[in-house]
Amino acid sequence: MKKLIQLTVNDREVEIAVEPNMTLTDLIRYEIGLTGTKKGCETGDCGACTVLLNGLPVNSCLVLAVQANGCTVETIEGLETEDGLHPVQDAFVEHGAIQCGFCSPGMILSAKHLLDKNPNPDESEIRAGIAGNLCRCTGYQKIIDAIKSV
Amino acid sequence: MLLPRFEFHEPASIDEACEIMATYGPKAKVLAGGTDLMVNMKKKILAPENIVCLSKLDPMHSIEDKGDQIVIGGRYTVAELTVDALVEKKIGALRSGARALGSPLVRNRATIGGNIGSARPAADLPPSLIAYGATVTLQSSKGKRDVLLGEFFKGPGFTEMRPEEILTTITVPVPSDGEGAGYINLGVRKAQDCNVVNVASFIALDAADGSIKDARIVLGSVGPTPLRASSAEDVLKGEKPDEALFRKAGEAARQDCTPIDDFRGLASYRKAMVGVLTKRTLDIAFAQATA
Amino acid sequence: MSDHKVINSRARRIDTPAKATGRAIYVDDLSKPGMLYGALLQSPHAHAKILSIDTSAAEALPGVKCVVTAKEAGLVKYGVSPARYDETVFCHDRVRYVGDEIAAVAAIDKETAEKAVSLIKVEYEQLPVLLTIEDAMADGAPLLHEKYPRNITGEVHQEFGDVATAFKACDLIKTTTVKNKRQDGGFIEPQGCLAEVDLDGTLNLISSTQSPHYIQRTVAMVLGLDVGKVRVKKMYVGAGFGPKAGTNPMELACSLMALKTGKPVKMNYSREQVFMFNRGRHAFTHKITIGVKKDGTLMALEHECYLDGGAYASFGPATVYYAGSLLAGPYKLPNMKYDGWRIYTNKPACGAQRGHGAVIARAAFEQQLDMIAEELNIDPKELRQKNMMETGDTTCNDLNMSSFGMAECLDAVTGGSDWEAKKGKLPKGKGIGLACGFFVSGAGFPIYRSDTYHGTVMIKLTEDGGTVLVYTASAEIGQGSDSAFAMIAAEALGVPLECIRLASGDTDMGVDLGAYSSRQTLMTGHATKDAAEDVKRQILEVLSDELDVPVEGIDIVEGRITFDRPVDFSELRTRYIKEHRGWTDNPDTEYLTFKEASRIAYLKKGTIVGTGKYKPHFLGGTYKGAAVGTSPAYGCSAQVAEVEVDMETGQITIVQIVDAHDCGKAINTTSVEGQMQGSISMGIGEAMHEEVKFDANGNVINNDLAEYKMVTALDMPPVDAIVVETNEPNGPFGAKEVGEGAIMPTIPALLNAVYDAIGVRIFELPLTPERVYNAIQEANKE
Repeated sequence: MKKLIQLTVNDREVEIAVEPNMTLTDLIRYEIGLTGTKKGCETGDCGACTVLLNGLPVNSCLVLAVQANGCTVETIEGLETEDGLHPVQDAFVEHGAIQCGFCSPGMILSAKHLLDKNPNPDESEIRAGIAGNLCRCTGYQKIIDAIKSV
Repeated sequence: MLLPRFEFHEPASIDEACEIMATYGPKAKVLAGGTDLMVNMKKKILAPENIVCLSKLDPMHSIEDKGDQIVIGGRYTVAELTVDALVEKKIGALRSGARALGSPLVRNRATIGGNIGSARPAADLPPSLIAYGATVTLQSSKGKRDVLLGEFFKGPGFTEMRPEEILTTITVPVPSDGEGAGYINLGVRKAQDCNVVNVASFIALDAADGSIKDARIVLGSVGPTPLRASSAEDVLKGEKPDEALFRKAGEAARQDCTPIDDFRGLASYRKAMVGVLTKRTLDIAFAQATA
Repeated sequence: MSDHKVINSRARRIDTPAKATGRAIYVDDLSKPGMLYGALLQSPHAHAKILSIDTSAAEALPGVKCVVTAKEAGLVKYGVSPARYDETVFCHDRVRYVGDEIAAVAAIDKETAEKAVSLIKVEYEQLPVLLTIEDAMADGAPLLHEKYPRNITGEVHQEFGDVATAFKACDLIKTTTVKNKRQDGGFIEPQGCLAEVDLDGTLNLISSTQSPHYIQRTVAMVLGLDVGKVRVKKMYVGAGFGPKAGTNPMELACSLMALKTGKPVKMNYSREQVFMFNRGRHAFTHKITIGVKKDGTLMALEHECYLDGGAYASFGPATVYYAGSLLAGPYKLPNMKYDGWRIYTNKPACGAQRGHGAVIARAAFEQQLDMIAEELNIDPKELRQKNMMETGDTTCNDLNMSSFGMAECLDAVTGGSDWEAKKGKLPKGKGIGLACGFFVSGAGFPIYRSDTYHGTVMIKLTEDGGTVLVYTASAEIGQGSDSAFAMIAAEALGVPLECIRLASGDTDMGVDLGAYSSRQTLMTGHATKDAAEDVKRQILEVLSDELDVPVEGIDIVEGRITFDRPVDFSELRTRYIKEHRGWTDNPDTEYLTFKEASRIAYLKKGTIVGTGKYKPHFLGGTYKGAAVGTSPAYGCSAQVAEVEVDMETGQITIVQIVDAHDCGKAINTTSVEGQMQGSISMGIGEAMHEEVKFDANGNVINNDLAEYKMVTALDMPPVDAIVVETNEPNGPFGAKEVGEGAIMPTIPALLNAVYDAIGVRIFELPLTPERVYNAIQEANKE
């Protein structure tokens, strides 16, 4: 039986009835229609589904939608402002930190969280901070360069 | 990957949670971080009819300094363990285990209760907790009981817990002067890895002559549960600590484990690494004990 | 300082802002009204006869709209190369690996589709399972495909020069055998597709693919459709690396069910299914024998190679050729003998993956070169320099190096890594190693015999506004090809990059063989340049006519029309402004703008369209298999790796990698570096901890990204990427490949560095801590 949940997604209130066995990823992608959050493995190993849940980056594929009741969720779509790209997004574009782009939404959110907590991370802190986000295209070098530049 | 269907329960209190577990027992599984249960469900290894979500149980999301003990609620996350000042200062080997676990994303959800309750032989938190002499409190609608963590694990995925019980707190004795502990894990890559071998060591030095009066060495990933390396501990007791002694203890520890050959590694390598990691964690424990 | 206005810069890519914001659409992001979900029935057995298939319970399940098997799909064979077509959409009489497709269901939701799949009853009679090359080639072993005795998909026997005689003249002959394990592409986006049939009967298939063109042909051929009524498109694709370059059964099943139901059908692979499908790097066993003179001159190579190929041919017949042919360079090698066998086994099929068949061969060769260098007491860099090919040289198997910056690459990496200071001087547990490699810039021939162009491009100018629309069927899969072509078009036409609007990946736009064999920059780049020059010519002709200036006296530079003499263009401007009455920003520059010129050209000629096309001149020799390895150009590179090894545990930490790659001319320097770094990360994964593991029943044990261990940010070392440019004559603006060549030196640089650190040679990959530890123990015993 569906449960009614309320959550804030990118500063907008959402109220929706969901099956208990729906993941947060599927809620975001298919029910709310924000497809920026990606599905790479669905078992918490790649980080493509990363969202900020109550401000913390998590694998949304390991969270039930019902567990997000009463929470705030920030997805990649929430970063852009009327003034343009968020500085982290801009840095990723400028430094060539995006190739196929499939890991990028998750990677950018992890990077944003890292920088919000620690505005001047050194290289080892950056690498540790994004260790849960797999990228098969870039070798991480330009991602690190981008994060350092912000 | 679809999750199987289930009844979802979200108790507002520990008592309510215990009532639900009493009703459904083996047909229910608790859900906290979900980093283990959700994966098992997606892979069709588990399909519990009832999920009892602990998200509303705030008292279980806690850490308390009780002087000679630290009491940690089962819902305290692994990420929180990595940054908690109390953990870093007083029970640093636990912090090492927490930092080694999974990835930053997993750590934000994974809980200390879950890492213990899932009873995976390669889990990162149990070895140091056992080495510190931790106990877990299990609660049910019938009451509470404490179990020494060293006696809690029965086999891969099996523990002392009864189906109707919930693991609510972990109580960790704080090492005093002349005591120290260390934890090292070894895998194949440097993040998001399942351990091939992991070891925690605890030593207590005699204040009078500096000899080792007590030692607890816990080996993970080399048996169905975390194992105590008792022959290694016997090598150490009563002796003055030095390089050669620690190496000898490491070699003895190799006999105390029963690793298997599996797709992650051969038993021969695991045994050899037990020796190396025992020696290295004793070094860390000793440095702390004499700091 | 670049002499170019657009290319050879670090321009921001045109696709990455959308990818950074979540606006970029990938196939699973799509949804259509009335869409059905498809699911596959796949064999749980590695080898079995199918005795019966009963779909009745599945068909009866409410919500199921369609169940298809070989009965509906037919038995038209397909694969990669026509001479080796050995796959059908569904199995009808036999399954050959765990995962072999037997049926598909389309239903109102995924849950119903999966439930229906579980209701399909199949009776199997199990057959002996062949999991190793030895088992597959043994006498009396069952044949996976009746046509191929001893389960040999293909074998190659080639000799160039006279190896036996050459060996007699050698002072040192060395033999080593190197093995790797099967790899997985590991792209983060699993395959997925969405098929829909228009009311006019066109099948529209959207797929996460590297080659819409190959998919279009295969779908039409297999399902018996008119290829003119099949349109294949891709959205953004989350990388491919090879496994997405051929058609997969899901694409065919999805198309079939869309045709049958009249509804859109969506399907995707779970990560588990990605591992079941595989089509990644083969497991190779290379036995390499090199003969040299005592001064280090390379004389001859004898090479025997076995490939474990899995249950179907896929790219395998080409792989077994590449494994041999690309050892003929980058060093002068007058005599080469190669014998290769690609074997069928009851495992998922292997195909082409970054670097194709040449990667492990290169690893074995470069490692042995180092062993030879050590024995002859010659520095490994010197040994390579001494034998290095030069621009203009041709290999013994007719591969021509029309540009070849290997010497520059070698100097760059040894300079950039403190090679001289460190080589042989690091303490035990620390090591430094060097290796070289090269690769094709596009295969000389398409995978099907044809006179087709390898790429066609259309450029249309907007009738107003001076925007340049570029249409290419090529595939942007992350490597930056869309941006490269936009930049090439802008450069060739003489306009700023902002004037370009490019669309790609749609078979309606033309022919393009797709993103594989590192072909797009050179081949599609040429076609783009041609189309842009065609457009430019048309505009200049109109201007010449209107202004009475010879065409040679007019140019377009950064969006300005330039003349070699004073010209009064005011009449043209007046006409333009008259047509834009009310605009507040009409041009008032002292030069005529491209916007105005293109408008005038439209008014004179109608819509301005330019076309370009590319096909390589005939390449290669006339011997059997000569086609494989041929290319209009070769990229080359050198790498130095520095490592630290924990001697007690065998764990390796890579301290740094310095990489120099000759890409001819960097169209986008940032993209080139990105490909270098990405190639290296895949090479490191393969060298250190990636391997697909099977149990005794042919199941993939580590079918997730936790146990199949790709490189995380903590495993990856800093990479210093140095771009070398030699201006390839056969490349557009001098450009040639980087996407695959850059992986070649990585594994051997690591093998050589680890040897330097621990003093023991290891001949089997990956270099897990356990393997390294065991090697150290063995050596200590001696």
